[in-house]
Amino acid sequence: MTDMVTINVDGKDYQVAAGSNLVDAAKWHADNDIPVFCYHPKMEPVGMCRMCLVELGTPVRDRATGEVALNEDGSPQIRYFPKLQTACTTTVSDGMHIKTNTKEVIDARNDVLEFLLSSHPLDCPICDKGGECPLQNLTMRHGPQSSRMYFEDKQLLEKHYPLGDLIFLDRERCIQCARCVRFQDEVVGDDVLAFHERGRRLQIITNSEPGFDTYFSGNTTDICPVGALTTTDFRFGARPWELNEVPSISPWDAAGENISLSMRLDRDFGGRALIKRVMPRQNEGVNEIWISDKTRFGHHFTRSEDRLGQPLMKTGGVMRESNWSAVMPALAGALRDADGDVAAIAGSGMSNEDLWELRQLVEGLGGSRLGAWMPTHGGAAAVAQVGVGFGTNLGQLGRGDAILVIACDLEEEVPIWRLRLKQAQDRGAYLVVANARHTRLEDFALEGARNDKVVEGDAIRFGAGEAVSTLQDLSADHREIAERLSSAENLVIVAGAEGLTLSGSKALAQAAANFLIETGHVGRRNNGLLSPLPGANGMGQHYLGFSPEATLDIMAKPPKVLLVAQAELLDDDPSARGWLSQIETIIYANFFDDGISELADYVLPIQSFAERDGSFVNGERRVQRFYTAQGPIGLSLPAWKLFGGIRQALGAGPLKPSAAAVMQDLSANIPEFEGISYRALAQVKREFPDVGGRDQYYGGTAYANTGGLGIQIPARADARKPRTKKVGSDGALAPAEGDVAIMPITRLYNRQRNFRPTLIVEPRILAPFAIINAADGVAWEIAEGDIVEILAGEAQWQVRAALSDDIAPGAVALPRYLTDEAIPMTVTTGSIRKVAEAVALADR
Amino acid sequence: MAIIDNPKYTERINQHLAKYETKRSAVMPLLYIAQEEYGWVNQAGINEVAELLNLDPTQVKSIAGFYTMYSEKPKGQYWLQVCTDLPCALKGADEFHAWLKEELGVEEGGTTADGMFTVEHVMCLAACDKAPMLQCNFRYVEDLDQDKMRDLLARWRAEAGQSPNGRGQE
Amino acid sequence: MHILLRGRDIDNIKALDVYEAHGGFAGMKKALAMTPAEVIDIVKASGLRGRGGAGFPTGVKWSFIPEQEPVKFVTVNADESETGTFKDREIMEENPYQLIEGSLICAYAIQAKAVYIYLRGEFWDIGDQLDACIESLREKGYAGENIMGSGYDCEVYTHLGAGAYICGEESALLNSLEGYLGQPRVRPPFPAQKGGGLYKEATVVNNVETLANVPFILSEGADAFKAIGTEQSTGNKIYCVSGHVKRPGNYELPMGTTFRELLYEQAGGPLHEERPFKAMLPSGGSGPIVPLTDDVLDTPMSYEDCANIGTIIGSASIIIMDETVDMTWVASKVTKFFKHESCGKCTPCREGTYWLDKVIDRILDGRGTPDDVKRIADVAENMAGTTLCALGDFAANPIIHTIRHFPDDFAQHVGPQVGSGESMK
Ligand SMILES: Cc1cc2nc3c(=O)[nH]c(=O)nc-3n(C[C@H](O)[C@H](O)[C@H](O)COP(=O)(O)O)c2cc1C
Ligand code: SF4
Ligand code: FES
Repeated sequence: MTDMVTINVDGKDYQVAAGSNLVDAAKWHADNDIPVFCYHPKMEPVGMCRMCLVELGTPVRDRATGEVALNEDGSPQIRYFPKLQTACTTTVSDGMHIKTNTKEVIDARNDVLEFLLSSHPLDCPICDKGGECPLQNLTMRHGPQSSRMYFEDKQLLEKHYPLGDLIFLDRERCIQCARCVRFQDEVVGDDVLAFHERGRRLQIITNSEPGFDTYFSGNTTDICPVGALTTTDFRFGARPWELNEVPSISPWDAAGENISLSMRLDRDFGGRALIKRVMPRQNEGVNEIWISDKTRFGHHFTRSEDRLGQPLMKTGGVMRESNWSAVMPALAGALRDADGDVAAIAGSGMSNEDLWELRQLVEGLGGSRLGAWMPTHGGAAAVAQVGVGFGTNLGQLGRGDAILVIACDLEEEVPIWRLRLKQAQDRGAYLVVANARHTRLEDFALEGARNDKVVEGDAIRFGAGEAVSTLQDLSADHREIAERLSSAENLVIVAGAEGLTLSGSKALAQAAANFLIETGHVGRRNNGLLSPLPGANGMGQHYLGFSPEATLDIMAKPPKVLLVAQAELLDDDPSARGWLSQIETIIYANFFDDGISELADYVLPIQSFAERDGSFVNGERRVQRFYTAQGPIGLSLPAWKLFGGIRQALGAGPLKPSAAAVMQDLSANIPEFEGISYRALAQVKREFPDVGGRDQYYGGTAYANTGGLGIQIPARADARKPRTKKVGSDGALAPAEGDVAIMPITRLYNRQRNFRPTLIVEPRILAPFAIINAADGVAWEIAEGDIVEILAGEAQWQVRAALSDDIAPGAVALPRYLTDEAIPMTVTTGSIRKVAEAVALADR
Repeated sequence: MAIIDNPKYTERINQHLAKYETKRSAVMPLLYIAQEEYGWVNQAGINEVAELLNLDPTQVKSIAGFYTMYSEKPKGQYWLQVCTDLPCALKGADEFHAWLKEELGVEEGGTTADGMFTVEHVMCLAACDKAPMLQCNFRYVEDLDQDKMRDLLARWRAEAGQSPNGRGQE
Repeated sequence: MHILLRGRDIDNIKALDVYEAHGGFAGMKKALAMTPAEVIDIVKASGLRGRGGAGFPTGVKWSFIPEQEPVKFVTVNADESETGTFKDREIMEENPYQLIEGSLICAYAIQAKAVYIYLRGEFWDIGDQLDACIESLREKGYAGENIMGSGYDCEVYTHLGAGAYICGEESALLNSLEGYLGQPRVRPPFPAQKGGGLYKEATVVNNVETLANVPFILSEGADAFKAIGTEQSTGNKIYCVSGHVKRPGNYELPMGTTFRELLYEQAGGPLHEERPFKAMLPSGGSGPIVPLTDDVLDTPMSYEDCANIGTIIGSASIIIMDETVDMTWVASKVTKFFKHESCGKCTPCREGTYWLDKVIDRILDGRGTPDDVKRIADVAENMAGTTLCALGDFAANPIIHTIRHFPDDFAQHVGPQVGSGESMK
């Protein structure tokens, strides 16, 4: 329970939390919106813009006794500061009085606005921020009627200055509040923005190479209180008041960022609604008010011209366009003919509703193998067991707490987790990053890594395939680290799969679970396990019975009929063609045809997250729903409706009328979903800080959550004390003499099929490369930039060599989806040799 | 040359690094060294300082831009900064400054065609009792008049190439 | 008698042996024999007030430093950038050891780990000289480890700024020293508090002249110091006289000496006999301007008396203007200074200085109107009291006070019909 103090705002007393910021307290408790520009509730106050000036007084106290001196009428004597004070830099204290509506305060607000407008262009009608602009709104409310500045005296500055590929700066509109600079420094930790020059010439610059290129850059456009920062994606795209906001969930990763899809009817899309931009939607327990740039800009695939719009059916060996009334009975027939030898592989981007209908379809036919695609991460079961405790909020980790991140690259895999964990560390949490190679998060873990910030952290580097043993032997090999982790008040472990086989990642998750159990860090809020499962619904796959093991089994013993949904088998798996060609009938449902039509018998169009209702379970086991935002592409169906339709055609009862109804059925059958309904998922409550309300100046243009905060599924350890289990095989590789461990790694920006239509990011996607230990490079006579050939089994890749001291010897990190040829899904062994000198690579 | 691994600077760089509690604190002295090496604060210098201090180059550029004694553009061999602030101006510094520009045929902030002199005006240099005055490559020259200045210009022309631009280690 | 500008009395006092032969480091020795708290008490008793401008009691400032903090610093403000100020320069050029001794006494009194002398960038020759002084002090055991065998350790370093007036403001100075932009910080926390000082540790920031007084106070006693000056303004002060006087320069005189004594007796009166004094800026560009009337001339130069004539003594950088000077031009000059030096961090100062400068240019060009004069007075009023640091207030002064005292100087530029006066809306 926090201590409360009493403050008086404009004559009325309010109880507010001790130690809180005056602007926050006045807003939260007294419903008094003190205007701000530079202050942002997620960042340290700087008192720069002077918009928040108030009259501030504190009680007069008797020096000797400390008693509050009283007036004759018994009210406390208040001594006001002679000058107005900035509320944003004031911490509340008991008995504090503020006045926000006196002439002096009103004049000061007016004056500050006049000053700001004295150099601000009056181009609101053509400004992207027009309509949701703090400066505009505040000027309407508090501002001068006209400027007394001579128009020709205004400074003319650059209007379209690219800070990077994704963000443009309008230097005339900038009001020097430094929110963007501070966001990059404080929140992201990539201080690639700064002021240049001084006085009225003060300007935002970047001098980094390449420019303003972080995975969170778009957030600056939300918190910019004017239209100075705009995204390449949305610039001049639409006016905010033309947009219709639809709550949704990011389809990209396990974070489950809450987003708002800004929809507008668009000429370029046949007059139909399309996504003009993706905005953050506040959910303090999930993404606060931030989203990654991939989430913000990755929406283009939803309206790609290459989207499948028609069901395709192979007749007489030729794939032809068809329609549902022809396809449905054919599908039913094909499935019936399988005699129960039916299996399914479902991608991790499928909704719970889709998975449930698919499962019922397969099981109804007597099949039992439900594969989760991709079969790379084995951590889901352990997360269900000892995942972070009910009510966990990474935003609450801080001093006294600890975080271990092992065998993953969160910056690239789940950027929002990396953002929030870095901030936890800023608040004092102890961060340990362990991996076979350097990752961005490791920079933050290391003391004094940047800006001489004193941080609590450590890094552990282990050899290829040694993640499991490193964790198991932590107390022996890294005693101090182990002790600090064990004795932390709260401990969160993020265990991934980098450099591991499927069984290896499963073993690592179990080893992490054991560590958590042994040190008493389970079954409690802010303690437990996380796993960066790929895709938006890795946990949903688990809860609905889809497993990576089943996938391996299917790959090893292909069924007669295989249903594949939202899984890009050919793109992902270099060996897929081989095992797929043993299958009699492939029924393939997806957004795009990845070349599968050659092998498949049915290629069926389904709807993306933007076109239908559904729900995902994020990595913290929070079930969250998304809403229909855009109309269907062609004849595409939501996957649940497709599978429900097939079941109907097979005579399994009526098709559910809505996704909500599917959820009802699901929650009645799957115990973890008990009590979860669309109505429950839609529930919201007021969250601190209050963003997205009438005053966009406070939090920026992140939207308030109206679509639902979601419901967390308890971990089993929340109810029952878990016991440690034997750690299975870590699937360790034993590379033959001269061979290396080839570790597929993830890059956030890649050429994955759904991301490719986001052309603005194209320049940021790296050319294919492989990271090689620098000493190995010397031994193998490979220099930086040389073209190397990597061979693993049948597969081979030619990529550029990137030498590094920060990768274990004998390991070669090979990013997925930069080349057209699939990279192995999990770690494997192979060989490497140089095929060309660095010069030859030119500029691929 | 570079400043990193340049024996000319190693000792000074190390001294500065040793002086402060954080590396970042050394950004100003190191920028002077970069300016000395390159004649101005160019991108190469910024990148090197950033590398030495483990800072993002943006941060270093920001510092270089804030302070007027770092030049982000090449300057003439003699960088003449005439104080024209109020006390000096009361003693004819504005006229002196105007005359000097005319004498050298340059605009404010401009450099003579031979790359010899850059002229600009600056704010008070704490030499108000010795106006007019200027600083040449960060060395004060006080109690000036046109005759004295003509002599100096002639001398500097004659010495050309011998005086480093920026803070030197003479 | 010079306490500070002793280089004028004693040949080569900038040599350590000469300095010592004339009582150098006697104060330090005395201090080391006392407890830190006793040292602070003596400085408090002396009544010494800060010479950097604000006149804050020095001993009181030192006593704010929390004793229990393990790490503390002293930073010497040698940024000397106020228009018309050139006193710290002479102290450091001619009597450098006295400053260092004073800083070390301060350091001992608060048990600081190190002293950083922040010099304006142009003072790099002085910096080199100070570095050499520090080196010889280290060699003698007067600085560094185990100072004079007392067991107290303290390093002394110099740091060069690079051309920014704002770095004289103490919190901007600290930012600059830490390698950040020289922009002021939000206070509280104040430099003397944990979290507010150098590297977030409690820190004393004192002006060069302030600290150069300290060895005398220790060696001669608080009473000897108090005997000089007035009740509330004790000791000597260096007055930097510039502009239209015969003998510009530094004058070290007791506080409370009258302006008349300084300007006529010492500085020789008006530069041109036939042109009487018109106005004075007693604290450089930042303090309010006053007309040089007889009343003003007879005012003692002390913190308290200057308040009575509507100005401040501040750093005592006294700029004298004779009757030929147009005060509109003065306002413009000073405004250009603040526009150039505004750090840009806070709105009223950043926008206000730019705007004022534009409108004064217009007035000086003959394009202004009487409304423009009102406008700048109003803009200046709006800046005052709303900025993050005092520079914004400083920048308002030249406008407000020149218009107040010399309205005719403005009126002559703005005939009632002159100028277009059309504003943007
Ligand atoms: C804009 C501004 C500029 C300043 N410049 C200087 C300066 O150049 N030198 C100085 O000693 N104090 C300067 N000061 C005052 C310092 O902030 C601080 O009060 C002083 O260094 C304290 O030392 P003292 O108590 O010894 O006077 C300045 C203050 C402001 C607001
Ligand atoms: S008043 Fe001027 S110098 Fe001071 S913080 Fe504001 S902008 Fe910077
Ligand atoms: S100064 Fe308080 S919000 Fe900007």
